[in-house]
Amino acid sequence: MKDIIRSQSVLKEEIIERINKQIKIEATSSSAYLAMAGWCDVRGYDNCAKFFFKQSDEERGHQLKFFHYLADMEAEATSPTIDEVEHEFSSLKSVFEKALENEISVTESIHDLVRLARKQGDIATEEFLRWFVQEQIEEEFVARKCVELFDVFGNEKLAIGMIEERILSIEYDGGE
Amino acid sequence: MSENLAESHTISSREVLFQTSNASITQCDAQGKYILSFNQDQIEFRACELISFRRKIQKIDLTKLLASDTPDIEIVSMPHCDRLFVFTIQEILELKDLFAGTFAMLELNSLIHKEIIRKGALIKSN
Ligand SMILES: [Fe+2]
Repeated sequence: MKDIIRSQSVLKEEIIERINKQIKIEATSSSAYLAMAGWCDVRGYDNCAKFFFKQSDEERGHQLKFFHYLADMEAEATSPTIDEVEHEFSSLKSVFEKALENEISVTESIHDLVRLARKQGDIATEEFLRWFVQEQIEEEFVARKCVELFDVFGNEKLAIGMIEERILSIEYDGGE
Repeated sequence: MSENLAESHTISSREVLFQTSNASITQCDAQGKYILSFNQDQIEFRACELISFRRKIQKIDLTKLLASDTPDIEIVSMPHCDRLFVFTIQEILELKDLFAGTFAMLELNSLIHKEIIRKGALIKSN
């Protein structure tokens, strides 16, 4: 008797289910950043808006990366429904705080996924996740730097101007 | 004559993985498919379709089904063959059994392939 199940399916069910959950998390992130971009845009924080539009696109990219991985492994990837995301914020600072909070929870979720892959002995998935672990270091770094800008400049009109000026140039240098 | 030969070839490439009183799942090596026979019905599955169907059956919460005021049935869709099935509680119980047994057999078969057949082939080729 042939080993059809192994030749047609690579991933364990638990991994598939967990990656599908991650697809939903990335999609929700993308949607949350889009809402933030809109909030910034209408208030004239053009560069902050640009920053969040770009973040939103990146999250969508992450979603697709996971989606393609499942499809490539012959597993069924689910296009997720997206829950309601926040559209109202009390201040620009709170938008960035929310963004940082979101990145922290995404990092935790990716790490959980790595632990699951390890537990299941799924070396391919663990290797695939390496990129995301690295990516999250970067995403968290940028989000944290943004919040720090508010601490440095305070929450005044002038500070917001400074932030508008600097927000697009924050980059992670890879620890160099 | 040639038709008979073709048929016997197909049958010999089929192996029943697990059987309950009204249902069975068969693996067809020639087509690389699984066949679920249930109440005179025969439905073919690819591996990933079989896995996702099993997940649907396993997710059905029987205590919830029994406790609700609605009729004790569950509607399960099989998008890969564009069909809807209505299962009674007995049928769901049987399907849960059937899948548990089938996947135990499949795991065992994969293990044999991994540890004996594939490893053996590697050793020979070295
Ligand atoms: Fe992400």
